[in-house]
Amino acid sequence: MGQERFADVVERFTNGFAAGAAAASPETVKQWQEELDRNVRRLTNLGKLATAGEPRTGQTPRQEIYKRNKSRLYRYASSRRHRTPILFVPNLGISRPYIFDLLPGGSFVEHMTREGFDFYLLDWGVFGPEDNDLTFEDCVVKILPRMARKVLESSGAEELTVLGYCMGAPLSASFVASHPEIPVKNFINMAGPIDFSKIGLFGLWLDRRYFDVDRFVDTLGAVPADLVKAGFKLLKPTMDLSTNLNLWWNLWNDKYVEGFTALNKWANEYVAFPGEFFRQWVRDFYQGNKLFRGELVFGGRPVRLGEIRCPVFVVGAKEDYIAPPACVRALIDAVGSREKDYTELPGGHISLIAGRGAALHCWPKVSGWLAPHS
Amino acid sequence: MTDASAATIQLFDMWRKQLEESTQAWTRLVSQAPAPPPDPMAFWRPVLNQGLEQWARMFAQTPASPDLVTQWKQFLDQWIEAWSRVLGQAMNTEVFAQLMGRSLEGWLTAQAPFKKAGEQALEQAVTTLNLASRSQLTAVAKQIVELEERLERVEDGVQAILRRLDHKERA
Repeated sequence: MGQERFADVVERFTNGFAAGAAAASPETVKQWQEELDRNVRRLTNLGKLATAGEPRTGQTPRQEIYKRNKSRLYRYASSRRHRTPILFVPNLGISRPYIFDLLPGGSFVEHMTREGFDFYLLDWGVFGPEDNDLTFEDCVVKILPRMARKVLESSGAEELTVLGYCMGAPLSASFVASHPEIPVKNFINMAGPIDFSKIGLFGLWLDRRYFDVDRFVDTLGAVPADLVKAGFKLLKPTMDLSTNLNLWWNLWNDKYVEGFTALNKWANEYVAFPGEFFRQWVRDFYQGNKLFRGELVFGGRPVRLGEIRCPVFVVGAKEDYIAPPACVRALIDAVGSREKDYTELPGGHISLIAGRGAALHCWPKVSGWLAPHS
Repeated sequence: MTDASAATIQLFDMWRKQLEESTQAWTRLVSQAPAPPPDPMAFWRPVLNQGLEQWARMFAQTPASPDLVTQWKQFLDQWIEAWSRVLGQAMNTEVFAQLMGRSLEGWLTAQAPFKKAGEQALEQAVTTLNLASRSQLTAVAKQIVELEERLERVEDGVQAILRRLDHKERA
């Protein structure tokens, strides 16, 4: 076999194929014509993809309410049928927040505003070397309380809902737990890691036995966007392959291509971490699991999840390998709230909140839980 | 639908069988050859040959219709998923974490002197040209950030006083 010429095998393959093709029925011929048509559309869309400009993301009308250094607070236009405004806290670094308002008809923000919620988004911004001293603690003690007050001021409401997604959940949980003077009516955690002993691959890779975070930050100053990208790509090495295969398969579908272009733009736009933020994030959360253990002290205040007493809603994603459901669900047992609900939905870390699946499963669940609480 | 999934399972089994056979072929090849083969394709030929033979057999048995393309797509999806699982398991080990930690450590050791030298050279070059250096610009930006923070603290203080006055007036 090893000595056989490659061309001989190809010839046998071609002969086999020809024998099969001879038995083709008119129905099969029709199907092949349709397939051919799809391929023509695939090639047309491939050409469009290559020459297309930037997709228009983040189209829901909004107003900048407040800015502090790189961070911005936006309020979205809505009928505001519900009294309690929502402060949405996404992750800091890693990626840009327009994923939550990707395209009309495929936007979490658009869904929430259409449901009549007064929706505020905190955009942490893109940090530079001048922000390397910004810590996790600064975000909890200085930025989040101010953002919450600005939400209350501009909405005229007496209470607000805090909704944290991904890293935004431990950030906002730390804030809610340590700032009882801020009137938080509800707290929602969407795919936010809480018990870091169940975090999965990242937890193993960032274990203090293998990863010296001090040496890392002292050498680099910050975590460059390219390194963030490398880390996330390594988490799922076959992701690009399956993405491109699915793109080719669906390339005939204009709607799919439109969504892909926007999502692809977002998926390749990574954001750097400020050095000190990353140091504290890895040391206290991944390596120390201090939030879950109640060992954090921010601004002289102890951070105890048991101090969260408002109604809590936690959403985990079944196939989430960044924040596995078990580590997200841990908030339910840790808070001191009487009313607390957990739901586990199909999808991964991103598809939980963006895409067709999210519109079907996640968004109605969140707005459905929140409406009677607002 | 059932036919399609049965065909997919069959395809998956074929792929698994093919992988096992190729692994055996590789093992034989590696254990027999005392020196690296002169032909670079020799390593991949067993798997290519077997893959092509399987496909040829399948195409010869089945009428060629676009259903076959769908099955091929499902086959690739499962193939990617299987590799993803295998890689995920391999990466979820202490050995991999240790290896990655060591590589990062090595990279940082190599990176540190280059980074420092590069920064120093750039600093010297812009100073010679009488331009502001990166560290000077960063320092100015930091001062602006601190100034903004102080202003906010003053603003907070004024607002707290105003609130207290307002409460007093109402009382």
